[in-house]
Amino acid sequence: MNAWSVSFKHPVRYQAGLDMQRRLLQARQDGAIPDTVLVLQHTPVVTLGNRGRDNYLLKTEDEYRALGIELFHAERGGDVTFHGPGQWVLYPILHLGGNEADSHGYLSNLEEIAIRTLSDYGILGFRREGKSGAWTDAGKIAAIGFRLKKWVSFHGMSFNVENDLSGFQTIVPCGLVGEPVATLRTILGPACPSMEQVRDSLLSHFSTVCGRNLERFASDGDMPEALGRLVRP
Amino acid sequence: MAIPQDLFYAKTHEWVSLDGDIATVGITDFAQSQLSDLTFVELPDVGTEFNAGDEAAVVESVKAAADVYAPLSGEVVDVNPNLEDNPELINLDPFGKGWLFKMRVNNESEVDGMMDAESYEELCPEA
Repeated sequence: MNAWSVSFKHPVRYQAGLDMQRRLLQARQDGAIPDTVLVLQHTPVVTLGNRGRDNYLLKTEDEYRALGIELFHAERGGDVTFHGPGQWVLYPILHLGGNEADSHGYLSNLEEIAIRTLSDYGILGFRREGKSGAWTDAGKIAAIGFRLKKWVSFHGMSFNVENDLSGFQTIVPCGLVGEPVATLRTILGPACPSMEQVRDSLLSHFSTVCGRNLERFASDGDMPEALGRLVRP
Repeated sequence: MAIPQDLFYAKTHEWVSLDGDIATVGITDFAQSQLSDLTFVELPDVGTEFNAGDEAAVVESVKAAADVYAPLSGEVVDVNPNLEDNPELINLDPFGKGWLFKMRVNNESEVDGMMDAESYEELCPEA
């Protein structure tokens, strides 16, 4: 099964990322494109999931604005989280339930991608009973929240590489009080791989775990016209 | 993966059991397994009219939210009162105690457009 990926070099604003996902979702539901994964970084933003509670926000709207952090209520599952430069966000627009690759469950697949990526850099990643995402001994490193419309997924997973963790200090991540957040940089220090290396790890494990051959494109490079129309506003 | 023989199935992984003009609607075992432990269900109001394919409900697990579509056209006449407190009934018994809502369907023959267990099984991934 073939799929496309599009990676973005420069941070994308949350709204622009959402608009792209909605266009891809519609095109995927219509069968106009194959499964497609966006891999990007966001400009600083705090997002709340469907059931996200405001009391996990530790700042007022004005304070977030003063810090240069946008605030969004997203229509995904999961609770509050932070995105910013130095963190990869994976937005798989996948039609689930139509092939053999999804039998272990999409959520578990996303966790597996994070755990295998950690393993590439000698870090033991694990799941935690009753909580979703990927964890290390140093704290939570990948957060997950997604939505299915007509069994096409959008939203997805974020993976901390070298992002500034101060953004997470403005929230109670995923509503988990007193839980530390880690990045590859806080764990590996100067041995931290580059953003590009980690992106390639994530995409390569995505391909294996989700059983899809990836044809990779860059947002500023050549790509099929049908895709270009959807990811370039 | 359980797929009862006596139900009708939609491509979006809902099931229907038809008794006269009353259709009971739920999500399949495959659907609940993809979402893992459900924590919240948003059900339609009794009296709501749907066309087949309309968004009718939302089921949520800790990290996922999925829309549920009305498989047939008609009016909602009942919703499962136990799901508000016990959404996990959908995980435990998707084809039984985990039913979502009942509709009085406008046209019973609409069900002919749905899949039988055999066709639905072909659509589902191998367990």
